[in-house]
Amino acid sequence: MSRGFSVREGQLLARSLKVTRSTHLLVASVAAAVASNATLAMQFIGLNGQLIMAGIIFICLALGTSAISSEIFSRSSQTISNLRSIGASSRSLSSAVMMSVLGYGLAGSALGALVGVALGFALGGASGANSLLIEVLVVLLASSAASAMGVSMGGRAAWRS
Amino acid sequence: MKKSYGPNGETEIYADLHFQLLRGTFVALVGPIGSGKTTMLNMFAGLERPTSGNIIVMGQDITQMEPDAMAAFRARTMGLVPQVQTLIPELTVQENVELPLHFAKVDNETRERKVDQVLERIGVRGEAGRVVSTLSVGERQMVSFARALVNDPPILLLDEPTEALDPLMSEIILGILRGDNMTLGRTIFVTTHDKRVTDLARRTLRVRKKIP
Repeated sequence: MSRGFSVREGQLLARSLKVTRSTHLLVASVAAAVASNATLAMQFIGLNGQLIMAGIIFICLALGTSAISSEIFSRSSQTISNLRSIGASSRSLSSAVMMSVLGYGLAGSALGALVGVALGFALGGASGANSLLIEVLVVLLASSAASAMGVSMGGRAAWRS
Repeated sequence: MKKSYGPNGETEIYADLHFQLLRGTFVALVGPIGSGKTTMLNMFAGLERPTSGNIIVMGQDITQMEPDAMAAFRARTMGLVPQVQTLIPELTVQENVELPLHFAKVDNETRERKVDQVLERIGVRGEAGRVVSTLSVGERQMVSFARALVNDPPILLLDEPTEALDPLMSEIILGILRGDNMTLGRTIFVTTHDKRVTDLARRTLRVRKKIP
């Protein structure tokens, strides 16, 4: 019986590509920094401003995660070539990096959003409970989409080279 | 087929290479160091492309395959023991050996069973939990061999497989090569300088000239 990409496969590949705790921390802290600032700002601006903030989160995190994944792929080019010699596809390798970056990126964004909400309260932000929930969701959605796109862009750049 | 290197193809490795390997054969490729033996093996594995011409493996033209399709084909059909170690040093013996089974999309239960069996067969089951970076060169070569065999590939490609092995390890490998070729009909293509390997092979190809 066959199956698709598994968590175990992702973990083994991530370790093979040297996606270490430092990489996780880097992804999570970048995501947290962007998310906390964006969530805080969203509580003091109107709808247009909030949309612009969502765009900023998306662009910053897409560029950041693209750079991180591109770095992972380029520093492990020999390992990638070794893994491909035993059957690894570019999809498996990209999925392994995607899994790590998405997971830690989302965790960082969630933490950042909470910090942003708390700071907004402390500074007298104008958003009500429902608006706050929507703002946090927008931040999380924008950061996950950006991370996915960033890893995909970084992977494509690495395969091209 | 033809194979040359350099921007204008000035270093010619093979000018006009044409031969057929029958299913279930055991072929040894011998020749001086630097004569292009590894290049030929890499081309059969789809790791390098010929400059012109085609390589047909099990009815499929591997020279026309996209890299991902080639990787999938390799995962299903070939076990590769390269001369340069390609194990992942950060992973354990067991994890290295199970990798090809992940790429071939084998389920968990079968994967565990196959890894256990092959480690037992190669005689390194006791080292399953050891991180590869702590193994000796010979032990790594045995693990590399286990990784090549784990998915029961119909084709086994080996580049100087006994070079780094002590006599006991060599005997284990030679016994497996002989047994698998005779009883399972596994096709074996091996580059070697080892007379014990050429004695086992049914056919020996000789590359005479060193590349300038």
